[in-house]
Amino acid sequence: MSWHITLFNITWRELYDNLNSLRFALTTVLLLALMVTNAVRHIREHPQRIQKYHDAVTESQGRLASHADDSLYMLAQRGPGYLYKKPSALYFCAAGGESLLPDRVEGGSPFGYAEDLTGVWKLKYPDANINLKRVGPDVTKVDWAFILCYVLSLIAILFTFDALSSERESGTLRLMLANAIPRHTVLIGKFLGAFISVGIPFTLAALVNLLIISTSSAVHLTPEAWGRLGVIFLIAFLYTCLFLALGLLVSARVQRSAVSLVILLLVWVTFVVFTPSTLASIASEFSPSLSSEALWKRHSHIQDELWNKYGRWLWSDELDEKTLTAKRDFFTQDAEGEERLRREYLTQQIAQVQHARAITRASPVTIAQHLLESFAGTGFERHVQFVENVQRYARQFREFVVDTDRADAQSLHIIGVREGMSKKKVAPEAIPKFEDTLNFNKDFNTRAMELLLLTLFVVVLLSGAYLAFVRVEV
Amino acid sequence: MLTTLIRRELLDNLMTFRFAAAVFIMLLLVVANTAVLIKDYERRLASYNTAVKKNRKNLEETKTYSAVSLSIDRPPNPLSIFNVGLDKRLGNSLGVYYFYVPSLWNAGKHGSNNPLLNIFSSIDIVFIFEVVLSLLALVFAYDAVAGERERGTLRLVLTHPVRRGHILIAKYMSAMICLLIPLLMSFLLVLILLTTSNSVSLSTNDFLRSGGVVFTSLVYLSLFYLIGMLISTATHRTSTALILSMFVWGFLVLVYPNMILTAVETAPQGDTETSAYNQIKQIWEEFERERKQFLANDSVPGEDWDFGLGGKGYSFWGDEDDASSLHYFNYYTGFHYETLSKESEPQVPHAQDYHRFLGLQLVKTADRVWRVRNPALETIYVRPANMEWMLLKFSPVGLYDAATEAWTGTDLNGLQDFFTAVQRYQQAVVGYFLDKKIFESRLWFVADKDTIDWDILPQFYFQRSGIGINAKRALPALFLLLTINVVLFIGTFLIFVRREV
Repeated sequence: MSWHITLFNITWRELYDNLNSLRFALTTVLLLALMVTNAVRHIREHPQRIQKYHDAVTESQGRLASHADDSLYMLAQRGPGYLYKKPSALYFCAAGGESLLPDRVEGGSPFGYAEDLTGVWKLKYPDANINLKRVGPDVTKVDWAFILCYVLSLIAILFTFDALSSERESGTLRLMLANAIPRHTVLIGKFLGAFISVGIPFTLAALVNLLIISTSSAVHLTPEAWGRLGVIFLIAFLYTCLFLALGLLVSARVQRSAVSLVILLLVWVTFVVFTPSTLASIASEFSPSLSSEALWKRHSHIQDELWNKYGRWLWSDELDEKTLTAKRDFFTQDAEGEERLRREYLTQQIAQVQHARAITRASPVTIAQHLLESFAGTGFERHVQFVENVQRYARQFREFVVDTDRADAQSLHIIGVREGMSKKKVAPEAIPKFEDTLNFNKDFNTRAMELLLLTLFVVVLLSGAYLAFVRVEV
Repeated sequence: MLTTLIRRELLDNLMTFRFAAAVFIMLLLVVANTAVLIKDYERRLASYNTAVKKNRKNLEETKTYSAVSLSIDRPPNPLSIFNVGLDKRLGNSLGVYYFYVPSLWNAGKHGSNNPLLNIFSSIDIVFIFEVVLSLLALVFAYDAVAGERERGTLRLVLTHPVRRGHILIAKYMSAMICLLIPLLMSFLLVLILLTTSNSVSLSTNDFLRSGGVVFTSLVYLSLFYLIGMLISTATHRTSTALILSMFVWGFLVLVYPNMILTAVETAPQGDTETSAYNQIKQIWEEFERERKQFLANDSVPGEDWDFGLGGKGYSFWGDEDDASSLHYFNYYTGFHYETLSKESEPQVPHAQDYHRFLGLQLVKTADRVWRVRNPALETIYVRPANMEWMLLKFSPVGLYDAATEAWTGTDLNGLQDFFTAVQRYQQAVVGYFLDKKIFESRLWFVADKDTIDWDILPQFYFQRSGIGINAKRALPALFLLLTINVVLFIGTFLIFVRREV
């Protein structure tokens, strides 16, 4: 009998056994229920989210247009207004803690020194404490990441914990090996059988989920989004393989299936439930704590210096170039100083979180979660990208104001002071628009590394299972 | 006979690999997480102490009554190490002013923790028990009856004159004793770590409260053991019992709490927010009309509110609007004058007259606004949250969480105690202002003749509610847990008695 027929037979037998089992039925029901809940929630919530985003953007644009209608100076003073993060259509794949992250950055709120003396705009990152009023329980939203990372991994373990040990217990393994079936064929057959048996309910549930979402008129998935969904599917299967391999490894080493399950459950609980958050807490413990007070101290220090330097010109009504330039220098340096401090503070905060995230990669669950988030276009990395987009746009906006002013020959080209700037109105269409785009090519290295790491986990566990199975006495 | 049975079961259980592994993992997780949790608590406490000191310093630098901004800080709850509840999430710094009633919804955060770190979920001791203990209980229970039936030992035992009920009780008792060991060991470890850390100070009541947590954990544990035993009695084979137990566990602990809140929309319907907001706006507009009327009718012509007061120092005025907490007021002023210029002197009596009127009016308006705000905020935030808590209670995990939160005082009630105390304090301060005629005093806006002794002002004092109140709040959930226990035991017993061996 050639080996592939044997392999096919073992896989088929395994599959047949599983399909008739209680766990298969329960898995199908559970996954279907979860996926349907997820889809229904998404088609109910997503249009609201999009609507909210559009309303907010329209309002912000309207305010910008009214400033442009006043004068170029108003644009230089008030800035672009609120800039919003675009919600991802694949939110249902991974919510990624989006509800705990701010969804906008303010490009505006110039400081009013006195009634006729207002500075220029700067970027202000909002406080991320946005849950202060929520008094409900803390739960994880059921998204694909949850279904995959928690539920599917548990199911993968339940399908493999007795794969080898129960056959050894009942003596059928001896029988098989006596028929000169190579051990690796048995192992691969078991693996494939379990993989297909877990894959069927998951694929079924995921397809039902996608069917509900794509037939609903509320959500529009672009071809690009479908492509990303394909990658998410691949990640899902890779991740399932990891736990199947783990199950086989333990099952090969351990004599009794009950013991095998206890070990697997303890490993699962440690890696899936506890490692991510415990490691994150430990990691953030080691990073330096930041203080907003130090920040404000430095800010007032900068401001004092500026007052000493330019103070005497500020209250003057003279319109000569020297006064106007001094006012300009004061305004811009003040705003720039504050913006720089805020950016530094945010960068430190982000670095702290990224450090913690890097350390939690010790658990494959976190890797899978990060991958899902980045392909769904949500989560922390996406937030960082949004902030970068905003910063790039802020530069663009400032350049636009300078360029428009330069085009006006009558202007004194002193930006930030009404008398020193172009008096002309600005056509609202000419102002650069903020486009929050998701760039996949950027930072692909991290994602490739994570994918490779996940694959490495699978390979190591599978070869571990093979070695364990080859060396063990039957 | 019963003791023989229990001893046999006990030896069977204690010598197993699963028992050793369970104790090991449990202790490992508990120690690692307690260390992290204590560190976190220490940081929060340090941040609280800094905030209190800073507020005191600010207060002492304030020269006039009108410029005072009293800020009350909420100390972290040491028992939040057991169950963090809402202790970390909700605001811990609350401003007390005479012109609005402070509440949970105005609280901000002191301290310099990185809020972006919130994206990592935090783990507390109760969470470890919730997940690991329930799993252990099922691992112990799945073969309790089915295993003996498979091996045939059950038949053997029943050939002796043993009552079937006794067998069940013996199994239950011995397993509970076994499971109690990791539970008590980890609790003792937590308490040892807590008492050795010198920043955490636990009162006698706190020890009693943690005793309540232990008891609730025990009931929770027994519930999952009984679920496992019921499954074990009802199924023929251990492998079926095992798979079924694991799925039940996955559903109750992992899936249900997350799925139900994803499935059910609890956001409040209707436009409570807008209507309440408009009402509040109207009250303030009315206030503004009366204020203007007063200014028009007083002995100084014009509607000028600062009466040309000037001197060394500054005055400020403003309005505040935060629609999401129905926090709206359109008028507040403050003066921080150290001396007053000579020209202002004749205006002082007029200003005093005006501020007597204004102070009283603001206090009244604040009260009226609160009567609209409070029910609206309840509808918007508390009612949906209560609905969510209620839905969670259909799972033993939710009941366990609710009961332990009530014991530790980190539930909504426990936190509201603090905010109610702040409200009482605000009333005391306003009462003091009215009693001592502070609104109309010269010290309201200028500190040239007198200085304020801030120690005479009513002091804020807050003590967490007594153990009796904690117990009362924990009781409904605890009672439900106990009832489920009894029902499960009776169910198991009935099935076991009627089944063929």
